Amino acid sequence: MNKNFPNECKILFATLFLLLLMSFLGQYSAFGGQLEGSTLQHAGRIVIGLVVMCGVYTVNFRFWNNFAYLFYAFIFASLIAVDLAGTVKLGAKRWVDLYFFTFQPSEPMKLALILALARYYSPLSQFEVEQLRSHTLPVLFTILPVVLVLRQPDLGTAVLLAAAGCCMIFLSGFPLKTFVAIIASFVVLCPFGWFFLHDYQKNRILTFIDPDRDQLGMGYHILQSKIAIGSGRLWGRGFLQGTQSKLDFLPEKNTDFIFTTISEEFGFAGAVLILLLFLALCSYFFWVASESRTKFSKLTCYGLGISLFLHVFVNISMVMGVLPVVGVPLPFLSYGGSSMISFMISCGLVIAASGQKRVVST
Amino acid sequence: MFDQQDRKNDIKFRAKVIFEIILALSTISVINLYRLQISNADKYLLMSNKNRIRLAPIVPRRGRIVTADGEIVATNICQYKLVMERSDAKTFRENMKIIRQCLTISEEDAASLNEARRKKYPFIIVKDRLSWEEYSKLSMVLFKLNGVSITNTYSRNYPVGPEFAHIAGYASGSSRDASIYNGKSGIEHYANEQLRGKFGNIQTEVNATGKRVKIIDSLEPTVGEDIILTIDSRLQKYVYDTLSLERAGAAVVLDLSSGEVLAMVSIPSFDPNLFSQGMTKTQWQEVTGNPMFPLINRAVNCSYPPGSIFKIVVAFAALCEGIISPKDRIYCSGGIKLEDRVFHCWNRAGHGYMNLTDALRFSCDCYFFEISRRLGIDRIVGYAEKLGLGSETGLELPTENSGLLPTRRWKFLHYGTTWKPYETMLAGIGQGALLATPLQLATMLGKIYAGNTDFSPTLIKNQRKNKKFDIKNTLDSRHLTIIKDALRQVCTSGTAARSCNTDYGISGKTGSSQVKKIKSHEVGMSQSRIPWKWRDHALFVGCAPVPNSRYVVAVFVEHGGGGASVAAPIARKIFDWLLLTTPPEKKSQRQDANE
Repeated sequence: MNKNFPNECKILFATLFLLLLMSFLGQYSAFGGQLEGSTLQHAGRIVIGLVVMCGVYTVNFRFWNNFAYLFYAFIFASLIAVDLAGTVKLGAKRWVDLYFFTFQPSEPMKLALILALARYYSPLSQFEVEQLRSHTLPVLFTILPVVLVLRQPDLGTAVLLAAAGCCMIFLSGFPLKTFVAIIASFVVLCPFGWFFLHDYQKNRILTFIDPDRDQLGMGYHILQSKIAIGSGRLWGRGFLQGTQSKLDFLPEKNTDFIFTTISEEFGFAGAVLILLLFLALCSYFFWVASESRTKFSKLTCYGLGISLFLHVFVNISMVMGVLPVVGVPLPFLSYGGSSMISFMISCGLVIAASGQKRVVST
Repeated sequence: MFDQQDRKNDIKFRAKVIFEIILALSTISVINLYRLQISNADKYLLMSNKNRIRLAPIVPRRGRIVTADGEIVATNICQYKLVMERSDAKTFRENMKIIRQCLTISEEDAASLNEARRKKYPFIIVKDRLSWEEYSKLSMVLFKLNGVSITNTYSRNYPVGPEFAHIAGYASGSSRDASIYNGKSGIEHYANEQLRGKFGNIQTEVNATGKRVKIIDSLEPTVGEDIILTIDSRLQKYVYDTLSLERAGAAVVLDLSSGEVLAMVSIPSFDPNLFSQGMTKTQWQEVTGNPMFPLINRAVNCSYPPGSIFKIVVAFAALCEGIISPKDRIYCSGGIKLEDRVFHCWNRAGHGYMNLTDALRFSCDCYFFEISRRLGIDRIVGYAEKLGLGSETGLELPTENSGLLPTRRWKFLHYGTTWKPYETMLAGIGQGALLATPLQLATMLGKIYAGNTDFSPTLIKNQRKNKKFDIKNTLDSRHLTIIKDALRQVCTSGTAARSCNTDYGISGKTGSSQVKKIKSHEVGMSQSRIPWKWRDHALFVGCAPVPNSRYVVAVFVEHGGGGASVAAPIARKIFDWLLLTTPPEKKSQRQDANE
């Protein structure tokens, strides 16, 4: 281990190594067991991601404190750019074409939102936090990108952004009773949001409630995914032996449904291992947060941990048919550059935060 | 108070709450995974396999049907068909363009093929039964076609045709898969399981679009067994040709020692190839709409009034029951009066005094009116049952007719009225409601000449090996001798004397059964002047040679006129063929088949 890294990072590296190994094996299998093209591209992204992670670590953590608003502004501008001149893939406008690669700003937006909110709350005193007025800006910070992402349309990312924002506001010390009241009223008002959804989103939710409604469309995907996971049994069908994914019964087996592919081939054991690895990573984030000295790094690390777990939970619940299919990638494992890089940056930030703690404590 | 408020707003406390939620959600996820992958794993594994594994049958070659002398009656011939795999509209159009240069396919057929393609069957049959010319033309262009191949299948063929149509029956391709043949009548139906063999299968793995990826497993089929008939093909053809001179009828030849059916013919017949290889609409209408019903096997599937032949049963019953002794005489005045009706003997002038032998010899009705009156219907039916009438003979053919023995109970169930004395008298001469199949009549005579009621006909070789007659079922030989002697005299100086008086010796009984009541103006009218459908049925059953009988022959000519004039000469020809003309090659072939 690089001795510039803090000692406690060993846990993180070990977890991350196992996750990335599973990620590579999963993608290798999902692409038909061939070491070429897309599989190599995924390996390349892992390497680039690790380099970016180290890059983030080497930057002094205080830089992020200063840089947070600028970063948020830049990503927010990109989101507007997507809205105005984005590339359309699969019926959704989510990408900006930067000539040498396409970029999906909604992924780093989760990061930018957490940083911006942490930056905003860090100098506030206990008294200020208890004033509702001081929460106006964070709510705006959250709502504006959520609206833009909903327009793409991307319900999953929007929900995750909103959830991450809420958690940050809750963590900052927002008055408890008011918070509970707002959440409760939101839940009550939620059904009215139905009228603002796109047809395909309505379909997905209806299909989720009644899978038999559309057996050959969305219901088919959920059913095939459940068949694949279930047929994995305890130890799986064996590496490269998953018939559901190999014979194209699975939809999106590389991206949103990568967990299904892995569960089919490695079974209950593999699926629980992946869940435990994510839980370990998340716990590490929380631990670094609780040990951090500055409020900025505390809030950042909590936020990143929550965001990571939300992705994992929504993704695997979705492929098991427990939640509607809303298009949330599984961190590190799903095929896709923007998601990979932004979660690598998360890790880099947490290592940097833990380094800062060490520097201060010694 | 403040402390607690402070603690609740503390970032650490709130993070702890969130972390607990995270743990709870993780637990829920593990439970969900457990439910999918452990509790319901078997269900999902089954669904997964159902997704990807397709099972296709491999059809075994159907067994042949062969006669005892080695003539093949039913076999399979190889045929080629043009098959196209599932394709998109463009490939289909390009393929069809090339195919239509070689084959003539009408616009309608092309449209229906396109319709089949759209239904996404794994493959469609472009054309069945390719001729050699079509086959060779197509082979030349096959490389230009995409997903098109020529496959061969076996189709059922009956090389001999109508002579064996009722015995072998026919098999036709199932509607789901034309290469799977199912027997629909005759031996094809009766021995369908044996002939079909055991299906093999091939398990293939397919992907989500239904395309075949690989073969997982296969099970070889078991070829169907050949069935060897007891029929002698030369005799069968001879009987068929002889009987073909009549409009409709049936003939059965039995081997007395084994019960083997040596020939069984029903006229008119049909070409079974029409059913196995497809026919046009007009051919179908011709076969099914024919007023003579060629599909029916008249020897087995139809029953007729046996007429005077039934007198053998009544005479035997009377002797056994001691109603009458051979010497007792009864006076025939040409009719008998019962209540206010007169029942005439066929000879209205009367036969005078008749003993049993004479009554059988001249087929005197009055004599049998009297003894059947004395016997009563119950005892007559009892002996008829003993001699195999009124129930299936157990021949290896489907839908055998059991004939009809009228009883008091039957009368009551069908007409709701009581049994009348005159009905017993009509039954005594084989008329009234009494019905029997020609095969039953042959079997009845066989039982008498074999001296045992266990005698029964069989159509499949070696089916009854080592089957011995039960001594309990032996018939009383004293009475049989009297009957046999009378039947011998029928052919020397009785009703059949003109046609059946031969050196080797035939014994038998003629029968002419009325199909309608004779009206007064029709008395004594020649049969040829009556419309065909109201003429008498002509029957003859006989046994030869005398004394050591070997063959039983039953001839039935539908509306033939008279048993003595029409049926007996045909039986005579059959006996002549059996006993006088024995082609040397026939003998050797039969020995081969037996070995």
